[in-house]
Amino acid sequence: MLKFKEITKIFKTDLTSQPFVALDNVSFEIPTGSMVGFLGANGAGKTTSIKIIMDFIRADQGALEFSSELGKNKNDILKKIGFLPERPYFYPNLTGHEFLHFLGGLSELKKSQIDQNILKWAPRFKIDHALNRQLKTYSKGMLQRIGFLSTIIHDPEFIILDEPLSGLDPIGRKELKDVIVDVHKSGKTVFFSSHIVSDIEEICDRVIFLQTGKMVYDGGVQSLLNTHEQKDYLVKVQGYGFTPSVKHQEYTRLAGNITTFKINQQDREVLLAEVLNKKVELIGLEFIKPSLEEIFYNIRSK
Amino acid sequence: MLAKLLLISLYTFKEIFKSKILYITLFIGIALMVMTYVATEFTYGTPDKVALDFGLGMLSLSSLGISLFLGATLLPNEINSRTVYMVISRPVPRWVFIIGKILGLIAILLINVLILSLMTLACSYLLGGEVNLVTIWAIVFNCLEAILLLLVVVFLSLFLNTTLATVVSLLILLLGHAIKETQETSFVKMRGYLNTVLEAYHLILPGFYKLNLKDFAIYQKTIETSYLVNAFLYGTFYSLFLLFLIIFIFNRKNID
Ligand SMILES: Nc1ncnc2c1ncn2[C@@H]1O[C@H](COP(=O)(O)OP(=O)(O)OP(=O)(O)O)[C@@H](O)[C@H]1O
Ligand SMILES: [Mg+2]
Repeated sequence: MLKFKEITKIFKTDLTSQPFVALDNVSFEIPTGSMVGFLGANGAGKTTSIKIIMDFIRADQGALEFSSELGKNKNDILKKIGFLPERPYFYPNLTGHEFLHFLGGLSELKKSQIDQNILKWAPRFKIDHALNRQLKTYSKGMLQRIGFLSTIIHDPEFIILDEPLSGLDPIGRKELKDVIVDVHKSGKTVFFSSHIVSDIEEICDRVIFLQTGKMVYDGGVQSLLNTHEQKDYLVKVQGYGFTPSVKHQEYTRLAGNITTFKINQQDREVLLAEVLNKKVELIGLEFIKPSLEEIFYNIRSK
Repeated sequence: MLAKLLLISLYTFKEIFKSKILYITLFIGIALMVMTYVATEFTYGTPDKVALDFGLGMLSLSSLGISLFLGATLLPNEINSRTVYMVISRPVPRWVFIIGKILGLIAILLINVLILSLMTLACSYLLGGEVNLVTIWAIVFNCLEAILLLLVVVFLSLFLNTTLATVVSLLILLLGHAIKETQETSFVKMRGYLNTVLEAYHLILPGFYKLNLKDFAIYQKTIETSYLVNAFLYGTFYSLFLLFLIIFIFNRKNID
């Protein structure tokens, strides 16, 4: 869907201060049909990258390449893109209805199509009751939702969202994530930035991780989890006087004589045999799966 | 493209219209009527002229004010509040966005002028004045002047912050009116180099005085066609030139 090739962006704020390298030779790819999370701490360069994709600002070096299925010229490509900016703000005096008709019209939809799409989505976003009110009366969550509705009103193939989940309460986050997943399942490519790892781990199949303007990782979420797997097990036994012969870490000794050991994967068979021999009771065997959060924390501290 | 341009104008118009800025117009209109009533009571001879003078003055002030204050924030507001991203992330070239925004604001200007000129003409007529063609021309040229000022301030707002853009535009407006008289003072006439400086100013910055026909409308009641044509061409081409510059710069601007 998109190739972001060796892009460098340098901001020159004023004459006296040093130029600031916001993106340093960053390359990544967004495959068609994928759901890609764009991860990075505050100031990592996520919004800057997205602004370059949308041609709001221009890169100093590198190139962008949209796949030909989106179209050949800028007009055709933009017709198939749905974009939601970071912390969006809306014309305060327009009503929700007017706002959607404005943006739908700019995306070359007919009035009847816009009305049809509003009918389809507004109840799902729970803003159908407020569409005739001015946007300045909307709460932050309502604005985020109508913003997302406007992003998909023209049924775009490629959806780019800059921190779509920020400012929402847990229920709102869940609801919006569900919609994003549904839209993705209907065949759309989704690219969204976030600095919350668990959101990305939950719904994305790929992740791009940026750290102070440099690429750290670009690839599948699963393969990242697999390569960083520590392959450890937690073994829980009940009974007295059992100490494994293999290398282990002893964790907890609860009142009910339950002990938990952490062992390496390769020692699993030996330990299990010992447990059965000693006649202590095995009450749990758990594979420890690191979260993306832990992995990125490790990468960052390296 | 035209459809999208008009759509942007329409919603720009709606957004400003609903901000109730035109209440000021109505307020001025009411002041005009009260003033006219007072004039009939206290002036001898020419109350219609007083109404016309006051009406045209208010009309000019309010439209220049709208240009200056709404023009200075027209683009910066869009950029600061990131609403511009909503529009140019759609299939809308930047020049369509710019022209759409400016036309939307011009529509507000024209409505303000329409309301106030109808009221002015009505008051003047009721007081025994006649509606002459020069008055209509004065109103048309007032619109042209406000549009030119609007483009000056929009242009400056691309580089300067809102306050500076407003102040500098106001200065350019005042200078553009004062330059004629300055050039005619004996102080300048006696010093050739000063005249050269003023001529140079003329070449670059807009001579707003050319578009001010108020005195013709109130006192002379006639005006030469050649003056009208020249002034009209001057105002139009200067505006188009500025519009072109604005688009040229905005197309290359990093919007962030
Ligand atoms: N116009 C600009 N001029 C100078 N520096 C800028 C400009 N825009 C962004 N930067 C700098 O570039 C860096 C990256 O900013 P960016 O907005 O892309 O971060 P981000 O990853 O989106 O962060 P956040 O999670 O906070 O939104 C920051 O250090 C920021 O200060
Ligand atoms: Mg950001």
